[in-house]
Amino acid sequence: MKRILADVTAFARQYLRSRVGTFFALAFPVILILLFGAIFSSSGSPRVSLAVQDMDRTDASRGFVQALNNTTLISYQAIPPTANFQDYMRAHSINVALQIPDGFQATLAQARNGSTSARVNVTLAGDPTQSSFGIAYSAVAAVANGFNLQIANATEVVSVGETPFTVQQFGYIDFFLPGIIGFTILTTPMFGMTSICAEYRTRRFFKLLATTKLSKAEWLAAKVVFYVLLLFLSVAIMMLVGIGVFGMKARLTPVAVLLIIAGAFEFTSLGMVLGIFVRDPGTGEALANAIGFPMMFLAGSFFPIDSMPSFLQTIARALPLTYINEGLRATMVLANDGTAVTYLLITLGFAVVFFVIGARGLSWKSK
Amino acid sequence: MGEHVIEVRGLVKRYPDITAVDGIEFDVSRGQVFSLLGPNGAGKTTTVEILEGLRDPTAGEARVLGQDVRSGYRRIRERVGVLPQDFEPFDRLRPREAVTYWARLFDHDVSEEAVASIIETVGLSDRADTFALNLSGGEKRRLGIAMALVGQPDLLFLDEPTTGLDPGARRELWTLIGDLKKKGRTILLTTHYLDEAEQLADDVAIMNHGKIVAHGSPSALISQFGGGTTIVLAGAGRGGSQALTARGIAAELHGDDVFVHVPMAGQVRPMLAKLASIEIPLTEIYTKRSTLEDVFLKLVGARMEEGVLAA
Repeated sequence: MKRILADVTAFARQYLRSRVGTFFALAFPVILILLFGAIFSSSGSPRVSLAVQDMDRTDASRGFVQALNNTTLISYQAIPPTANFQDYMRAHSINVALQIPDGFQATLAQARNGSTSARVNVTLAGDPTQSSFGIAYSAVAAVANGFNLQIANATEVVSVGETPFTVQQFGYIDFFLPGIIGFTILTTPMFGMTSICAEYRTRRFFKLLATTKLSKAEWLAAKVVFYVLLLFLSVAIMMLVGIGVFGMKARLTPVAVLLIIAGAFEFTSLGMVLGIFVRDPGTGEALANAIGFPMMFLAGSFFPIDSMPSFLQTIARALPLTYINEGLRATMVLANDGTAVTYLLITLGFAVVFFVIGARGLSWKSK
Repeated sequence: MGEHVIEVRGLVKRYPDITAVDGIEFDVSRGQVFSLLGPNGAGKTTTVEILEGLRDPTAGEARVLGQDVRSGYRRIRERVGVLPQDFEPFDRLRPREAVTYWARLFDHDVSEEAVASIIETVGLSDRADTFALNLSGGEKRRLGIAMALVGQPDLLFLDEPTTGLDPGARRELWTLIGDLKKKGRTILLTTHYLDEAEQLADDVAIMNHGKIVAHGSPSALISQFGGGTTIVLAGAGRGGSQALTARGIAAELHGDDVFVHVPMAGQVRPMLAKLASIEIPLTEIYTKRSTLEDVFLKLVGARMEEGVLAA
């Protein structure tokens, strides 16, 4: 135990004296939270900018635009009626635009007077693959449907109510934070350990350590202890920023604490496993990137796994980070500790396997 | 001869493409500085790393402090200090912190005074609180020796401790190793500097191509293989050489100088008297004692420059 503590102390001194290491462990996740938090949390629901060319310029067409503007989804800007619709879009780099044709009010009047053949098309132009187009389409369709109901003198029978699925009313940042914690659990120990193994090998520190009484398992245990402490510091800073800046409501639960410890254990060990194969810092970095980057995107750190194609979801289920991300969300946001404990056990299973492979496979002795 | 701290018998380390160590045998006695001397690739470091428990031998036997290196390396490393070849310290630790850290890895609870004493021993007191990355090459090696000393080892392995250092730093390290020797430390020193081995070692084994080609004290090796003393007639030229040959004296012309080899120390004075009686124009006359370099040249057939055999 004394040797482990000695190694933790010496390693911590070196790590925290390296500005690059400290930046990526402590400052980078905070930057991510501030960035994504500012993008998605500061103005409530996202609003789509919709340009409208009102060719009709009547009370009815102005009413249609006003109805759009009253939704929380659209922020309106006008296209002059005299402009060529598509040329104007191109010239002003407009993503989504709506054109209300001349005769809009007259057609509505015909319909109110009983004409069954009266039809008018409003045209929504844009890139259907963009999410902003989908949001604008929903808003325009909803307003058009409202106009149709009004003309038909009908009332809305089926309506949609909202009830929060989570225990508290959480915001985007609350769902995002567990992913960022998972991202940090992946990158800080795994990338760190891979490059440390490469450096220790090229600079012969492993040989030097092999001349002491410190064993490989003790050395790895010391790194696990260090990364657990570092991750708690990192998570504490992230939580403070989330609460202080964005009013985040998610809190660390006992299961979340255990998941962070298990995750640090798991990815420190995985870094050592990768360290078996690296011979220099260049290959170490490449290997860590090759494993880490796909995992951080596929394991649901930034995007929900449910939104992925089914074959990617299958892959995601095989990735160790998935169980940390999902486990943290389960316990911190959904208050589902049962699922979180299951994911904690899976994480511990991965960790033990990686630790054994790392401690056995990494050789300090020469051939 | 005292107790043997290291005993090596028929040691072999074979790789698919090369036999790095080829059946060597030697002993190192307690309190002795033993030097493995040879060019790069001679097998010195491989031998030392086998003795340190960092490599497994292919065949033969090696015992360090009474322990077999294969089965007892855990016990061995508790009692030895190691300065590896091309030692590099941890960049962002200060010498004081590095020595404390290393002591704890050997389960030693060292006091601040003890750490300061070790640092003083290696002459780093003024740099004890400087990050290792800011130390000079010589200071880094001193730090390495300090780390090797923290466990109060019975045996110190210094693998090419002065390689790559400037002459001043080399001399300073020689003084330090000399001081450790005076304190009775047993040291196994590998080097490719012949003068270093001659200066520091009680016993020298010259290695080449994995074999020990000569073994003994520097003076014994010089006396056996070095050819005694050389009288140099500086500026005597070809005429001087011919004049000596005409009088039956074997002489070698080296540039403008003439060398006369005297195998026995007792023959130097009569030879000087004999040479003085011959009228030869010269600028200076002096004697040159054979060195390990001459021994090496004779045994290996080439001179060594920075660890590489000259063509």
